[in-house]
Amino acid sequence: MKRTWLVALPLVIFVAVIVFLYQGLSADPRARDSQILNQPLPEFSLPDLMHEERQYTPADLQGEVTILNVWGVWCVTCAVELPYLTYLADNERVKFVGLYFDQDIDPDFGGKTITAVRKEVQTMLSQYGNPYAFNIYDVYRDMSLDLGVTGAPEHFVIDQHGVIRMHHIGDINERVWTTKVGPMYHQLVKENTP
Amino acid sequence: MKLGLLIGLVLLAIVSKSSVGATGQDNYQFANAQQRETFQTLTSQLRCPMCQNQNIADSDAMIARDMRRKVYQLLQDGQSAEDVIAYMKARYGDFVYYEPPLTVATIWLWLLPVLFAGAGFWVLYRRRKPAPVEDMAQRLAQAEKLLKQDKP
Repeated sequence: MKRTWLVALPLVIFVAVIVFLYQGLSADPRARDSQILNQPLPEFSLPDLMHEERQYTPADLQGEVTILNVWGVWCVTCAVELPYLTYLADNERVKFVGLYFDQDIDPDFGGKTITAVRKEVQTMLSQYGNPYAFNIYDVYRDMSLDLGVTGAPEHFVIDQHGVIRMHHIGDINERVWTTKVGPMYHQLVKENTP
Repeated sequence: MKLGLLIGLVLLAIVSKSSVGATGQDNYQFANAQQRETFQTLTSQLRCPMCQNQNIADSDAMIARDMRRKVYQLLQDGQSAEDVIAYMKARYGDFVYYEPPLTVATIWLWLLPVLFAGAGFWVLYRRRKPAPVEDMAQRLAQAEKLLKQDKP
């Protein structure tokens, strides 16, 4: 009896270690639990990227299921996903709102002017498509920090009550839309229409 | 002679460059040495969420710069180091701080090595148990008897 136990124990430990390590093979080291999931949008009051006199607050993102897209002209992947986002906006009536941030216009970090950035944004949107209802300009990137943004592109699916229901790090392409973001979006839209 | 000087200069350039590091670009002013030290400790203990295993002091990622500035701002506002860590954890999770919290899931990080060492010592102790002392004289007598029995 004791002998079988002695033989079985290393085997059990071995199998446990193998299972643990095997999971590590397919785990995404960049995947994190978002802290903002199922939380209402953090408080903010930020200007429109194109018209600084227009101010937005969380109330502007309520009433309709919205996908908040964190982006910037300096981000290559953002340019890559723009045509597909535009397709979704045009054909599936998906509401995209941009959360724009640019370290180069921050006086602490760079020397670009807002006029130059607006020009770049316009060029890029006319070149690749413009999916955005409007763009919120995250001047000091406080909102990005509050949302737990690590880079760009990132997407937040926000329900009609302004609660964040999904935080997707990375771009939206056809595969991501059909398997991950799209189902959540359609489910929320269904909830919204009684 | 000239070659030696050249090599020396190149080495000097490499050493001075590496010692400056990424934070060399930041130009933060501190009221006192203690504040500077808190800032440096915090930025070396907070992990960059974008990079794989780099603290925000060493990283030049955009997010790391933003986080360094936020740490600076919060400290300037009079917040404590614990407040800053709590602020970052609320946004980026436990991942952002190099010291894991003590939970049911993480307690094994401390317990397993102790248990493992304990098990090792236990096995060693069991093996060392001295063999029971036998009465050699009696055994010899028994053997003698068996030998005698074998003889016809």
